[in-house]
Amino acid sequence: MFYVSVFFQYMAQYMKTKLQYRADLFVEFLSDLMFQSVNLIFILVVFGHTTLLHGWARDEMIFIYGFFLVPFALFGAFFNIWDFNERYIVRGEMDRVLTRPVHSLFQIILERMELESLVGGVTGMIIMGYASARLHLEFHWYDFFLFLLFALGGMLVYAGVFISLATISFWSDARSSIMPMMYNISNYGRYPIDIYNRVIRYILTWILPFAFVGVYPSAYFLGKKEWYGYAFLTPVIGLVFFMIAVMLWNKGVKRYRGAGN
Amino acid sequence: MYAIEVEKLRKEFKVYSSRSGLVGAFRDLFTRNYKMIRAVDDISFTVKQGEMVGYIGENGAGKSTTIKMLTGILTPTAGKVVVNGMNPHKEREAFVQTIGVVFGQRSQLWWDIAVQESFRLLKKVYRVSDKEYKEHMEHVIETLDIGPLLDKPVRKLSLGQRMRCELAAALIHNPPLLFLDEPTIGLDVLVKLKIRQFLKEINEKYNTTILLTTHDIADIEALCERVIMLDEGKIIYDGSLQRLKENWGEGKQVQFTFATEVTEEELCALTYDIKATWRKEETNSWVAHVAPMHVSDVISRIVARYDIQDINIDEMSTEEIIRNIYEEGVVHG
Repeated sequence: MFYVSVFFQYMAQYMKTKLQYRADLFVEFLSDLMFQSVNLIFILVVFGHTTLLHGWARDEMIFIYGFFLVPFALFGAFFNIWDFNERYIVRGEMDRVLTRPVHSLFQIILERMELESLVGGVTGMIIMGYASARLHLEFHWYDFFLFLLFALGGMLVYAGVFISLATISFWSDARSSIMPMMYNISNYGRYPIDIYNRVIRYILTWILPFAFVGVYPSAYFLGKKEWYGYAFLTPVIGLVFFMIAVMLWNKGVKRYRGAGN
Repeated sequence: MYAIEVEKLRKEFKVYSSRSGLVGAFRDLFTRNYKMIRAVDDISFTVKQGEMVGYIGENGAGKSTTIKMLTGILTPTAGKVVVNGMNPHKEREAFVQTIGVVFGQRSQLWWDIAVQESFRLLKKVYRVSDKEYKEHMEHVIETLDIGPLLDKPVRKLSLGQRMRCELAAALIHNPPLLFLDEPTIGLDVLVKLKIRQFLKEINEKYNTTILLTTHDIADIEALCERVIMLDEGKIIYDGSLQRLKENWGEGKQVQFTFATEVTEEELCALTYDIKATWRKEETNSWVAHVAPMHVSDVISRIVARYDIQDINIDEMSTEEIIRNIYEEGVVHG
């Protein structure tokens, strides 16, 4: 309960800061929108050439992409930890975080909040709307809640993997380029999983479970019964990976060496 | 009960030393030379509630490392730390509720938002009720004279203004123990005085324990009765500032500006029997350190022998005492 109220306090603060820079806010919004439309055009061009891929129709793939954008936007909004090493370890901001009576990871998440990333989620929903209209998909009332659950699950998968990567900084002070690499790998999760070979499929399911951010949960809404089991695993995988990440974090914080003065 | 209890506290860092040259860099790829460095080497001390303690030492002596262990930021390699009855890094979240921290070189406030917004966030984070906040902070804001700064974003404040706000921010939850790591670094004299005044006041009012590191000995002289001196991770002196001065600061210094060049041998030979030590300040300016009873003796001898342009007589400053201690290594007496 205390954490919820702290969350809202930070959020209010964040809004105030953003509103102070009106021009910035406008530009950011515009560039986000442009980025999203470029993405959309890209998808239409790529999928324009293929109508069927391993039994997946063009519109189904577009739907997956649309779904993927939602957990990804949530992740971008609340787990903006790309520059954790630089900002908190090298520059020693972690010192300050550790002198406050709130869990350190939670504080960093709050400080690095980027709510404008949520625009991507809206784009995702528009894309899904477009695709489901063309596919004549039918939805039930509970699908909305499942959608929320899956989107949150996907967000946690992402968060789990990237937080785990961020904790590497506690053990080694060398800067690594593993984050951008992982970002590229994460993109594989938004294409139908059965187009890959077995090894990659296994990795994307159990080791770096990015398939749970795009293709598996989407399969449920697309009515692909053979994938239902995986679809319902989404929140479980999300929670497991997130919990592992938090455990690694708690271990890592003990090894924090601080930056010299 | 002690506010701080430290026993055989040790912190080791593993650092790797890189080899020189391109060949060395290649060898570093495969095997690295690691070295264990003891930043803090088995130190023990206790601090009573309400004490103001100066924690001093040269750069790299281990001051900051100790403070970071006491505040729960770093995990000690070995030894016992009990602060406010708790183990700082084990019960971090409950523990930091009972301390305030100011790092002079690092801001605790949010850069982009107004000071009062930072305060509001901290008030929430430390779970301070409106009533407590009003009672306590109104006074703090008034004493530090930061009322007019509250609606400005931190990035627009001068260093002195920011420092006062930092201090206020560290006190939002009215902690019984305050850690200050170089709180007056880079500040002008007036702000320094104000901050010292304020620290004294809260110490008297709330019996707040203060542990302070600084390079400005005047801070220590103004605030602390007790100093702990650190060198290469070890405590080399722990006691009252008064005693330090008595043991080390006896004697006066007499500064002469000669009209012509002189050598140390000449001066020493001239004052050999009264045990004066000489130090060169500038080309023709020398300082003699002698016992108070020999001051007139030194002056009369030098004046009789040389052409003198100027003479000054000074007490040993604390700064000099401390410099002497570091130069000679051990504390006697």
